Amino acid sequence: MTWLPLCLMLAVACLYYVFYLPGRLFLGPEKTRAGYLRERKDAVYENLRDLNFEYKAGKVPDVDYTSLKSSLQDEAATILAEIDRLEKNPAPASRRARI
Amino acid sequence: MAEIGSFALLLALALSVYSFLAGIIALAFQKRTSSQLVGVTAGTSGIAASGEESSLITTLRQASERIGETARRAGIATFAAVLLASVVLVICAFRDDFSIAYILHHSNRDLPGPYKFAVLWSGQEGSLLFWSLLLAAYGFVLRLRYKTDPRLFAYASVVLSGVQIFFLLLLNFAAHPFAIVQGTIPADGNGLNPLLQYPEMVIHPPMLYLGYVGFTIPFAFALGALIMKYPGEKWINITRRWTMVTWAFLTCGVFLGAHWAYSVLGWGGYWGWDPVENASLMPWLTGTAFLHSVMMQEKRGMLKMWNMWLVFATFWLAILGTFLTRSGIISSVHAFAQSSIGDWFAWFLAITLIVFVFFFFKNKSHLRSEHKLESLVSRESSFLFNNLLFVLLCFTVLWGTWFPKISELVQGNKVTVGAPFYNRVAIPVALLLLILTAVGPLLAWRKTSLESLKRNFMWPTVGAVAVAVFLLITPQNWGSPFGLKPWQDISYFYSLMAIALSVLVTLTVASEFYRGGRVISKHTGQGMFASMVQLTHRNTRRYGGYIVHFGVVVVIIGFAGAAFNQDKEMEMGYGDKMTIGPYTLICRSYTDDDAPNYASEWAVLDVYKGGKQIDTMTPVRRFYKASRQTSTMPDIRSTLNEDLYLVFEGLNQDNGHPILKAHLNALVMWIWMGVWIMLIGTVLALIPNAPAPVRVPAPARLETARTAPVVTGD
Repeated sequence: MTWLPLCLMLAVACLYYVFYLPGRLFLGPEKTRAGYLRERKDAVYENLRDLNFEYKAGKVPDVDYTSLKSSLQDEAATILAEIDRLEKNPAPASRRARI
Repeated sequence: MAEIGSFALLLALALSVYSFLAGIIALAFQKRTSSQLVGVTAGTSGIAASGEESSLITTLRQASERIGETARRAGIATFAAVLLASVVLVICAFRDDFSIAYILHHSNRDLPGPYKFAVLWSGQEGSLLFWSLLLAAYGFVLRLRYKTDPRLFAYASVVLSGVQIFFLLLLNFAAHPFAIVQGTIPADGNGLNPLLQYPEMVIHPPMLYLGYVGFTIPFAFALGALIMKYPGEKWINITRRWTMVTWAFLTCGVFLGAHWAYSVLGWGGYWGWDPVENASLMPWLTGTAFLHSVMMQEKRGMLKMWNMWLVFATFWLAILGTFLTRSGIISSVHAFAQSSIGDWFAWFLAITLIVFVFFFFKNKSHLRSEHKLESLVSRESSFLFNNLLFVLLCFTVLWGTWFPKISELVQGNKVTVGAPFYNRVAIPVALLLLILTAVGPLLAWRKTSLESLKRNFMWPTVGAVAVAVFLLITPQNWGSPFGLKPWQDISYFYSLMAIALSVLVTLTVASEFYRGGRVISKHTGQGMFASMVQLTHRNTRRYGGYIVHFGVVVVIIGFAGAAFNQDKEMEMGYGDKMTIGPYTLICRSYTDDDAPNYASEWAVLDVYKGGKQIDTMTPVRRFYKASRQTSTMPDIRSTLNEDLYLVFEGLNQDNGHPILKAHLNALVMWIWMGVWIMLIGTVLALIPNAPAPVRVPAPARLETARTAPVVTGD
């Protein structure tokens, strides 16, 4: 029965670790639609950077580059416009939590 | 000791159940209080908004967050408990504690130390414990990294706990690794399966399991994101590294398995389309498809539903693979453990399918695509075709694997499908995939013009055609792969195509590095090699991916060598000669030996090439005393051109002469080299990018922007 105290100690240690919560919890920022849009903006900017690099590398002809760049810029502009709108008329703090 | 192990398993189960239930309660409360708080603040709940009510909801929310934290900690503590159980089992194996049935059946006193360690995953109960341990370890890391996105990680943690509960239920109630032997305890154990007594077997199962189990993480994130309607694609970003690491482990596991089959089973091949081999290949195929299609979701917000299904299918196929190896439902040389736990797995597979389908249909509106396919000639369409081909191949393998069972149910007799069935689909699909591997990186996102195609494909295509013509016109006596005449045999045609397309991929990969390096070199004044290194460091994922593609090409060249394989079998007395390809083998002697764990018979053969002795080889056949089973240990002489593979098949009972089989396997070493390159590429792709200056100006077209909101994210 030498195993019994060991098992008890193990159980107590686990319970202590699980349920003893000193201090404040880290909850992190709530994700908002503006946050989501900023992620999308980053993705579109990255696509633009890739396109520029491929153009400089000679992979994309001028005509393709102009048209692709233009459509990516339109996409970025749409996103920026919505971010701008959201920043001008922010939702109440509690409403932001709903995303 | 066994009692401590049993207790640890029970404790782990209790902790997992708590982590699962408390996690669900916390998330449900957080969701509810969050919406109530919105209602109260906005005064739309139909109840008068009061400070008291708001404060009550806030208190409830804080309480639910604390419950959520205890759930996370319970998940972490589960790892400690499962780790303890595993350590106890390994200690019992080293202490030769044959009072534990599992140790009795899978170990013996003379078993070498490393194999005693491998006992942990050598049988049914132990390998399930190992599965559980790896899952708990992945969960441990995930729960420690929760600060990345606490809400998403909380959902993923609940899903992980759900999977963990299943394995711990199995361990506690169906396949207990600490079950005690009834009656007299034997003095020695039954020993480990001889096929598993090979150095690679100490690392192959952990790698494979790390791959299998690891796919639970992307699945947990995907299901979590689906349930919580996660806004955006950040979850994809978070899981990408997990998926790549898991994919690397599975790749390593699959190829270590192939290498083990090649080095131990003694039939001269590395892949036999065995159900258990197929079981490891299927999640690899869907996982590879996911790694490609995920880029479309990240870059263009497309294929969201498809990716969700791919992640689920990969996880589901990994469990199905474990089910195949455990249930004994399909016979295989690799199915080391068979029992009645198949029903448990069948139920688990059904439940996960139902849960996933339910949430998919409930929240699928959240997964609508942000863009449409603009052109058939674009990066997107190349990814799409790539995915379709991977899924087609996966379905073929799934169908072939289950066909014996299906035919038994329908016709009453088992019809087994062999390599020709799989090869009929796998080879053309692999060739098409090679074409896409070459084409994909050179296509632009959205659409690619004819001019762009000409610009990017001209030289790689010329190079590939030139190599194909060279292989065609060279004489056959140059050895493999020269003198390939595709009209002589369909396998030659496939080999020629595979090599030519491999050259095409290599040239496109090289051109990507060269062009990118040239841009950096022009801007920085560095040499080309330094520029290429910097290029790779700036976008490790892309250029690491290209190196993986190059590794795949090298593997495919290795596969293409199979068209040139030869074999010969002969009884060889002293001084007898056998000729195969450019080699002449002369039997110098044959003898036997006795070791504590096994007795062995072996032959000593001198190998001559071009009239000169180049090597001495000793194929062995072993008889393992504890398990009373025999096993061959082929001797393999590997070169870049071919492997000389000798098997000691047995002794002629009349005259005592050894019977030897020689295989000449072309280009096999390329396969193992290719795998190393693939792994190096994956490691590179995992390294964070070096910061690059952002030179893209902010779009100056806000005034012309459409007023419609950006699709999804709500």
